[in-house]
Amino acid sequence: MSTTPARVHLDGVTKRFADVTALEQVDLDVADGEFIALLGPSGCGKTTLLRIVAGFERPTAGRVVLGGDDVTTTPAHRRPVNMVFQRPTLFPHLDVAGNVAFGPRISRLHRDEIRRSVDEALALVRLDGYQHRRSHELSGGQMQRVALARAIVNRPQVLLLDEPLSALDLKIRLEMEVELRRLHREIGGTFIYVTHDQREALALSDRVVVFNEGRIEQVGTPNEVYREPRSPFVARFVGDANVLPVEVRNDGTVTIGEARVPVTASGTAGAAWLVLRPEVVRVEPVDGGDGVRGVVHDVSFRGTGHSYRIAVPGLAEPLKAEVPGVTDHHALGTDVSVRWDPAASRVLPRSGGD
Amino acid sequence: MADDQGERLALATTTAAAERGIGGRAGGRERGRGLALVAAVPAVLWMVAFFVVPLGVFAFYSLLTNAFYDVAFPLTTDAYVSAVTSPLNRTLAWNSASVGLTTGAITVAVGLPVAYWLRFVAGRSRVAVLFLITSSMFASYLVRIYAWRTILGSRGVVNSVLDRVGLIDEPLGFLLYSRFAVVLALVHIFLPYVVLVLYAAMAPLGRGLLEAGEDLGAGSSLLWRRVILPIMAAPAVSAFVFVFILSAADYVTPQFLGGRDGLTLGVQIQSNFITVGNWPLAAATSILMLLAFLLLFLLLNALLRFRRLHDLRIQT
Amino acid sequence: MRADGTRVRSPVTTTILVTSIVFLFAPLAVVVLFSFNDGGSVTLPFRGFTLGWYREILSSTEFRSAVTNSAIVATVVALATLVLGTLAAYGITRARSRLRPFVAVLLFLPLTLPGLFLGLSLLVVFSGTEISLSLTTVAVAHLVYVLPYYLLISVAALQRLDPALEEVGADLGGNAWLVFRRVTLPQIWPILLSAALLAFLLSFDEFIITFFVIGPQSTLPLFIFSSLRRTVDPSINAISSSLLFVTIVVFAVSFALTVRSARSGRISVEPDVVGVDA
Repeated sequence: MSTTPARVHLDGVTKRFADVTALEQVDLDVADGEFIALLGPSGCGKTTLLRIVAGFERPTAGRVVLGGDDVTTTPAHRRPVNMVFQRPTLFPHLDVAGNVAFGPRISRLHRDEIRRSVDEALALVRLDGYQHRRSHELSGGQMQRVALARAIVNRPQVLLLDEPLSALDLKIRLEMEVELRRLHREIGGTFIYVTHDQREALALSDRVVVFNEGRIEQVGTPNEVYREPRSPFVARFVGDANVLPVEVRNDGTVTIGEARVPVTASGTAGAAWLVLRPEVVRVEPVDGGDGVRGVVHDVSFRGTGHSYRIAVPGLAEPLKAEVPGVTDHHALGTDVSVRWDPAASRVLPRSGGD
Repeated sequence: MADDQGERLALATTTAAAERGIGGRAGGRERGRGLALVAAVPAVLWMVAFFVVPLGVFAFYSLLTNAFYDVAFPLTTDAYVSAVTSPLNRTLAWNSASVGLTTGAITVAVGLPVAYWLRFVAGRSRVAVLFLITSSMFASYLVRIYAWRTILGSRGVVNSVLDRVGLIDEPLGFLLYSRFAVVLALVHIFLPYVVLVLYAAMAPLGRGLLEAGEDLGAGSSLLWRRVILPIMAAPAVSAFVFVFILSAADYVTPQFLGGRDGLTLGVQIQSNFITVGNWPLAAATSILMLLAFLLLFLLLNALLRFRRLHDLRIQT
Repeated sequence: MRADGTRVRSPVTTTILVTSIVFLFAPLAVVVLFSFNDGGSVTLPFRGFTLGWYREILSSTEFRSAVTNSAIVATVVALATLVLGTLAAYGITRARSRLRPFVAVLLFLPLTLPGLFLGLSLLVVFSGTEISLSLTTVAVAHLVYVLPYYLLISVAALQRLDPALEEVGADLGGNAWLVFRRVTLPQIWPILLSAALLAFLLSFDEFIITFFVIGPQSTLPLFIFSSLRRTVDPSINAISSSLLFVTIVVFAVSFALTVRSARSGRISVEPDVVGVDA
């Protein structure tokens, strides 16, 4: 990845609107053929970044380089990128084929050439035979497929997707995720995908870029970002997590409730955050062992297991735990012992302000 | 999704706008955006050449010396002095103001319930009624004046009918050639405008608003006083000012329907210009009239703002 | 617009509405009725049906030339408005320039100026520059008067158009002009055409300004004006009615265009103004 030149190279991209800073010094390289997700809460600047790559916004500072060419000041219609918008936005005065043919017609391709590439693109999104439908005859999912076909028919260097599934129903959303992965494999293009849905980002992409307040918090594979969050924000935002403020002793242990438990990090004594994914937390009957003592504060059935909230003395919020197994569970109000594998927890440095 | 599609779209747009930073500045290619204003240049040039400049020249004429169907130097304020000191002008100004005031008040008072009807009661007949009202807006101005003269004249429709049923022995003289006739015709001319302006302002109001009011036990009079009128205050004032200005400055309706006590300043300006040939006087009177309109507009706006402040203080 | 289902009942406002509509149309109906009245005076009772008045005005060369002049001026004004107004509306709605609000205020300002003052101002300038008054000066003045009305409608239509549509067009490689032609215009042309027809009507019927800036020729409103000044000739009913017929036909076409475009869902166009449930 590091040897081939980046398909998209962002260099210190900053965007300010009046007195609001939407993006602050964003550096990012996207490799050729990569499926990258920009993940973050709404207002974090991810859509602004996508619009800057598309050419709809110009950065206040920084450079946008596409395939080696600096396109920072190139208008949208001259950039070799195409975008799929959040809402299915089809031209209402054109039928499906007319929508998909919009780009090829601008390139003044031959009539047969246009028809062939339109058919090809529609086949790729599995809408063969829909050529002469009008947008009001299509479902939301189908409209978004047409928008996809309309974008990929131009063979863009980069395909930009701005929360393309967020306006769809859950069931269709899941189907479309499968379609998007297949499409990425088949056309082998570079995809930049904006979403606020961490599940979607983890499921779809090769790499995830987590945004917060206009800055990149972490870049990594879905696995890295999930397992090795670099900040409490990432830990909380990507997947569910218990993030506990702790004081690490020199021997690598911390005190939670009344129990003293080991954590992996050694030699990093001092204030820290302990990140515990709910699924690594085990909930057991009280047995006089070394677990953290707590009381079942809430329990709910989740199909594949039970979801607990365990009140632990000294902790501001109950501990979340996801326990597999559908047979028996600990009843509300039961005293329990909570344990986890220290290797599955993560310790992050904590400064006073956090 | 069961929710209303429009609402979903609106929601999507707002979130998208929020996502982009600030509402309003989003949307569209950044490059060429500043250039888009170039498209407005021909219209702007036209307005400058045939609106701004002529008005400026006209205002300048008010400071020149009368030269009988022309103007001459030196600069003087004579025209303003005679415009202000003329007792006739004062009477006519009063007539204009009273015509404007009554016409404005009546059109707004009738326009509000009609707009309410269109928004909340109409149902399926809304398109048809809107068609009727808007089409009447485009019905010829002069034809309407003529129509009222036909109806209100001493041998007109109203008097004939009243006479026939035996209600009167002599034709009612006050109907035509009076301020009453002028106001009636002007209400007829401007009512459709007011209805459309108020309806456009009322259209975004949701039914929920009324239901919330009803839910709180508000009767219909309370609903009007507490919910509808406060919201409609600003558009109603705009509509009132619009009608006031256009009817106070009308010079055709009073000529045909006004008689003696229905003559207005507009007629005087026109005749000073066309018949008497005193251009500076006509210009000075016009400028004074425009200043009066501006003053009225600013005054009503200040009142609105004061009312809003007042409301705020009561709430806190 | 109405997700309501139920209707509010409101006998008071319904009464006011019905009264208003009768008030708006009864006087016009009287004129039309008299235009078919077989009698020498405009008084009740009716003497029987005739088309004589229409025959009379149609044979009048003065009337015919007035109608022709009005039609020429209104057509020129409508076409000029269509071009200038559409460009201006595009500029106002799509520009990000800081000058934008000033341009908008300037272009809408004539709405608030009574025709008397505009007419006098233009007359002063035309006579000062020794431009002779003619149908051309009438058209020049009408364009000032009509343009803001056209902008009210076209700006609203452009603002309601989903901005994402134009972004998609640019994203797919269209420059500003191509996007306007292939994306924007196909969505809003019925509205623009409808607004241009209204511009035609406003110009066709304009009297207040025309009175000051017209030369030796006559237009239909001017012809009516002089008939009004001469005493009572019942043919004025037929003249007035012809003007009303032209108005209603042109307006109906304009209205149908707006309603159709709202119904076709091409644009979330003015469900408020047109009142179509989208």
